[in-house]
Amino acid sequence: MSTASRSTETRDWEAIARGAALSGTEGEGVESIRELLSFRLDDSPYAIPVERVREIVRLREVTHVPKVPDWVLGVVALRGEVVQVVDLRMRLGLPARERSRRSRIIVLHGDDDRITGVLVDAVDQVLRVSEEAFRAVSSAADLAAVTELCLQDGDFVSVVDLDRVLELRAD
Amino acid sequence: MAARRKNANARDASAKKPARRPSKSSTSEKANREFVSEAEEILERMSEDLADLADQRQTRNEVDPDLVNRIFRSAHSLKGLAGMFGLDGMGELAHHLEDILDGLRLGRIPIGSPAVDLLDDAVALLGVLMGDLDDADAQEKHLVEVSGLIGRIDAAVATPIPQSGEFDGLSLDPALLRALTEYEEHRLRESIRRGRELSLVDSTFEIIAFEEGLSEISSAIREIGEVISTLPSPGAAPESQIRFSLLVATDLPAGRLAERLDLSGVSVREVLPGTATEAVAVANVASAGGPTAPVAAPIGDVRNSQDAKSIDPSDPISAVEAPVAEPSEIESLRSISDTVRVDIRKLDELMTLVGELVIARNAIAGIASRLALEPDTAKIGTELTKTHRLLDRKLKELQAGVLDVRMVPLRQIFEKLSRVVRRLRRDHDKDIVLDFKGSDTELDKLIVEQLVDPLMHVVRNAFDHAIESAEEREAAGKAPGGSILVQAFQRGNHVVIEVVDDGRGIDPDRVRAIAETQGIVSPDDILTDKEKLDLIFAPGLSTRGEVSETSGRGVGMDVVRSNLAALGGVVDVSSVLGRGTTVTLTLPITLAIIQALIVSVGGERFAIPLNAVLETLLCEPKEIQRSEGREILNLRGEALDLRRLSREFGLKGGRQDGKQYVVVLGMGDQRVGLLVDELHGQQDTVIKPIKGPIRHIPGIAGATELGDQGVVLVIDVSFVIGDAARRKEAA
Repeated sequence: MSTASRSTETRDWEAIARGAALSGTEGEGVESIRELLSFRLDDSPYAIPVERVREIVRLREVTHVPKVPDWVLGVVALRGEVVQVVDLRMRLGLPARERSRRSRIIVLHGDDDRITGVLVDAVDQVLRVSEEAFRAVSSAADLAAVTELCLQDGDFVSVVDLDRVLELRAD
Repeated sequence: MAARRKNANARDASAKKPARRPSKSSTSEKANREFVSEAEEILERMSEDLADLADQRQTRNEVDPDLVNRIFRSAHSLKGLAGMFGLDGMGELAHHLEDILDGLRLGRIPIGSPAVDLLDDAVALLGVLMGDLDDADAQEKHLVEVSGLIGRIDAAVATPIPQSGEFDGLSLDPALLRALTEYEEHRLRESIRRGRELSLVDSTFEIIAFEEGLSEISSAIREIGEVISTLPSPGAAPESQIRFSLLVATDLPAGRLAERLDLSGVSVREVLPGTATEAVAVANVASAGGPTAPVAAPIGDVRNSQDAKSIDPSDPISAVEAPVAEPSEIESLRSISDTVRVDIRKLDELMTLVGELVIARNAIAGIASRLALEPDTAKIGTELTKTHRLLDRKLKELQAGVLDVRMVPLRQIFEKLSRVVRRLRRDHDKDIVLDFKGSDTELDKLIVEQLVDPLMHVVRNAFDHAIESAEEREAAGKAPGGSILVQAFQRGNHVVIEVVDDGRGIDPDRVRAIAETQGIVSPDDILTDKEKLDLIFAPGLSTRGEVSETSGRGVGMDVVRSNLAALGGVVDVSSVLGRGTTVTLTLPITLAIIQALIVSVGGERFAIPLNAVLETLLCEPKEIQRSEGREILNLRGEALDLRRLSREFGLKGGRQDGKQYVVVLGMGDQRVGLLVDELHGQQDTVIKPIKGPIRHIPGIAGATELGDQGVVLVIDVSFVIGDAARRKEAA
């Protein structure tokens, strides 16, 4: 669908994310630093642990799948694998929005062949955040997927708990 | 603070996840399963043999040497298997098991309590190791036990009993004595100690048929005694013949043995202990020189030295001895040398590659026809088409070759079934005969693996529930013993496996009654007998014990059905009350590459495995008739149930002209017509699993990439076909 040429504001996030994922976070003796990949839904910043990220790809043609929850957008082919794509806006209960040239699929590692693509509006950068900057979310009724926030240059970034996002309800 | 700590932990947990690569964990599981099934079989056999060994030792104070040899071979196979899968602890233990067994075989260790206890302990520990295969921590812990046990084994093996009793005075050719292996010497010594009669059986065979002749005479002797050694005999024989000398220990004197064997071309000579003959003199010299000393050969007369030469173990002629003496051991060695074990994952990779080549080939075909249409490039286009055809042919051969490698005969599962039924028969004291037909029928290795459980389930059901007690059977005028027949055969692109019993059969009305009490059907539903019978596959009904007692079938049949559906197969049941039940499993031969029919509904494309498509037709709206909310079509006089793909998948379907294509699907005995908007021809496809949070998408068997058309979902035909129970559910 969105096969427009690479826009000027888009940098090579694939390289950034992959490099960060490869370098790893352990073994440097700085246990209090966490690395997050930040992205946007609407204009709000969100983030996920960078080590969960396998790669970031442009939005490509998604094949619709019947009889699945509406937050599963469909499936895409990724180098010989067929992977489900979760519409994160839909999953977090945000209003639908047109996809743009900046829309990206963040591909997550998955145990047990549960590799998953997550559709976001735009990918920002890799954040290195010290433990002190994290704040737990106190009342998490309708924000169940966001369990903590991290303070970044005076703004709060919502850290998405991927296991909750991808967890299936009993139905 | 507490919250942060919790977060830190959560992070640790999530940080670990990517390190555990998904594909690796699931594939090594697969490899483990393969290992486990084979190792379990070996261990099972070992413990049975060990039980026999303990029995023999107690009752006869003597042990059948063949039994020890068999256990030795089991330990050897297990060692090889463990080595192949890199399980060092297990391999090491099996290796030391071999040491004890070798000691027992050669009489270096007495068959007494320390040795037998060590064997028992080792086999038990191997079982424990197997059980905790996936648990690295437990394995670590067990290693301590392993090394402890190995220490005990080493100690036992290190103190051999002194070998005593020479063969002085035996009226045996010294050359023959020299050719005996250590094991054979031990057996000879053992036989003398027990005071058994020794005889030398000479027999002459035609060279072309000597193997059968030898095995015939050997097995005749084994019935009454033991063949200590089989050696080619040098004596004058015509060119086309070969002579063998068998050194035999029995409880019969030579004369009686000759009568007993009564075979042509066989002569029996008594081997006397301590008879002073020429041979004895030579024998003395020979034993003085030691059993393997080559110096002994020149002593004695000319004939004897020739004898010695021709019996030298390194001589190619006497090497014939080996396959005869230990036929099964040699056989297993041979099978290791000319077959290659291949990890099924490697074949999967090859298959995927072939599949991708097929997609590329389709693209080339497209380019070729485009080129052929342009006048400028028509010539090149034609050439490309020709090359494409060659590529196509070779690809098909490659595909068939890879598929062929994945095929294994059903015999593997049948043997497992027969073992289970043997055990059931012993435990339940039920006289039921299990027969197999078509065990050479081949199926994809992966399917065979997945088939074991459901098939076992069906056979167990037949054994436990379908077949009546002997009294009940006699009252019904049947033979007291029941029978279960498992037969397999190929039908087109499918393999059919039928489990036929001659038990009490299933009463459809009772199944229905029970289904009603459980709310699966309502009392108003009108069902045919077939539909009532099919209720045994309904989830919920089948898990209830009392149903199995009264209906004779049905425990976990819903599980069997879903297991088969996962393989793209179906299960069907038919029954005659009082006469028996037949459960039919229908499976595709392979899952790897399939031909698919591409259809579309509401603008979305789907692939349907072609092996399930019987025919396609275009029908007018008025041809579709309705009955009880079902849509049916008159297909050459038969009522064909119709299903709309648009409705199944919640899509906006339909063509402007109102017509519909009908894809007639068939699997097992079931037929259904699937209504779609358009047909788009056939394609070779590789079905891939769909990865992601949703494990099982109803109605979808997987997905496939179609060159330029992106990802297309593959329809699960067994879901569409469904059965009476599901249709009720949906309605």
